[in-house]
Amino acid sequence: MLRVTNPGLQATLQGRPRIGSRQFGIPYSGPADAVSMALANRLVGNPLDATCLEITYGGFSASIEQTCTLAIAGAVDQISAHGRPASAHETLTLQRGERLEISPPKHGARTYLAIGSGFQARFEFGSTSTYLPAGFGGYNGRALKAGDVLNPNGPAQVEKTLQTPQAVRPSFTSSFALRACVSAETDRLSAASLKTLFNKTFLAGRQGTRMGVSLTGHTLELDSDGLMKSAPVFPGTIQCPASGEPIVLLCDAQTTGGYPRIAAIARCDRHLLGQIRPGDGIRLLRRTPQAAAKDHAEKQKLLDDWLVGADDVGGSYLY
Amino acid sequence: MRASIIPKRTADDQFEFAVETPAMAQALAQTLRNIEWAEDVVAGLDRVCVRFHPRHADEIESLFGKTLDVSPIQNKQTAPIEIAIRYGGADGPDLEQVCDALSLTKDAFIALHTRGEHTVEMIGFTPGFSYISGLPADIKIPRLSQPRSRVAAGSVGISADFTGLYALAGPGGWPLIGRTETLLFDQTGEDPFRLKPGQRVTFRAV
Repeated sequence: MLRVTNPGLQATLQGRPRIGSRQFGIPYSGPADAVSMALANRLVGNPLDATCLEITYGGFSASIEQTCTLAIAGAVDQISAHGRPASAHETLTLQRGERLEISPPKHGARTYLAIGSGFQARFEFGSTSTYLPAGFGGYNGRALKAGDVLNPNGPAQVEKTLQTPQAVRPSFTSSFALRACVSAETDRLSAASLKTLFNKTFLAGRQGTRMGVSLTGHTLELDSDGLMKSAPVFPGTIQCPASGEPIVLLCDAQTTGGYPRIAAIARCDRHLLGQIRPGDGIRLLRRTPQAAAKDHAEKQKLLDDWLVGADDVGGSYLY
Repeated sequence: MRASIIPKRTADDQFEFAVETPAMAQALAQTLRNIEWAEDVVAGLDRVCVRFHPRHADEIESLFGKTLDVSPIQNKQTAPIEIAIRYGGADGPDLEQVCDALSLTKDAFIALHTRGEHTVEMIGFTPGFSYISGLPADIKIPRLSQPRSRVAAGSVGISADFTGLYALAGPGGWPLIGRTETLLFDQTGEDPFRLKPGQRVTFRAV
């Protein structure tokens, strides 16, 4: 059990995505970086999609009100447990009265804090994930505030201290190379703009939300009458409005949209979208769907060595 | 109806079909949802997208190009649902602007909007948001240049040739003409949204 003393810019509870409800207009939500959340859960013996705390840009602190088993993954710089340095990617036990502090990371945007057995959260539309725009799931459907108390679902199941193997620890920088495929309306781009899309480095826009990140620095030319009918979009879809500034959609992506869909981030790299900060460099690497599917199988295999096994089979994390 | 459907790959884990009408999109989506590997099937107004795990790509490709039985959605002959709307004021902050754009008085607009039956064509964008057809052909309103970050549950907007109903609060870019207290959403039910594609509705001013 812990009491939030500073939530940072935005902290929400996230669990599994709501896959299968888009026909009701319900976005996936869930973690912006599902791999980092799975890694945090693994260290405390949870199913990989157990409810975690997603912290944005660090600056988070909490006081521990009852001894608990925790783990931290994702974007991290410094973590301190009652004034002592603590490590990410390691099972931590904090005692009652101690204080946990997570500093703002230098690279990457989101940090995941897992607790043994998962955090208690409101279960709505098949998941505990917080969807802020409509206020459901999570902690009363809202972002956390100082003073909120978070409880685990039960006792921790983990008996030993674990560490994430080096081979599967992600490290973030200020540039992202993301594999991507052409999509439904890529042919609306001029030849020059298609080249730009896959050959130039874009800069992440100033407003990065869980719904989307804009790609700035190059303006694309688009043959569009602005009359496209609303069509399905997903996390990873890159839309291009008439302004010529593309937007890549994240976990809270709306279910349909009326802008041309000029590309799609490959499934294997979508988890990285959650770590993009404003101003980061983004390069799209063009892949055929077949090549991207192969990339997916390879990444899955690498991560499965650690993320599947033990007693844990819960939850996909490359979606 | 039987349809030979040629999809377009729109991502390594997505295929999409183009269809003629929102009703066909709904019918095809319903058929495709029965396919085991379909992780998620989403209908747009004239598109249907299937998301699947990339490991099933070969099975999927072998299926397409074959003829598929698509059963039209059997709309139970339920009576139209009446939506009672408070037009204008704080409930519909954009009504005046909409009336100006159409050169209509508020009363004339309300008379037009409440005429006849309308049909829910699609649920999408945000939770429970309904796209409802049936506006007179001469009503064509563009979206707001600056979307609102939060629109109250029950808000009624119009854009292009649709009326939009916000079943839940959320972001919204459609000009708002009113608000309803007709219950559109019931969390306790297994099927929480009252309006479904194909459902007929009427609007009444209160």
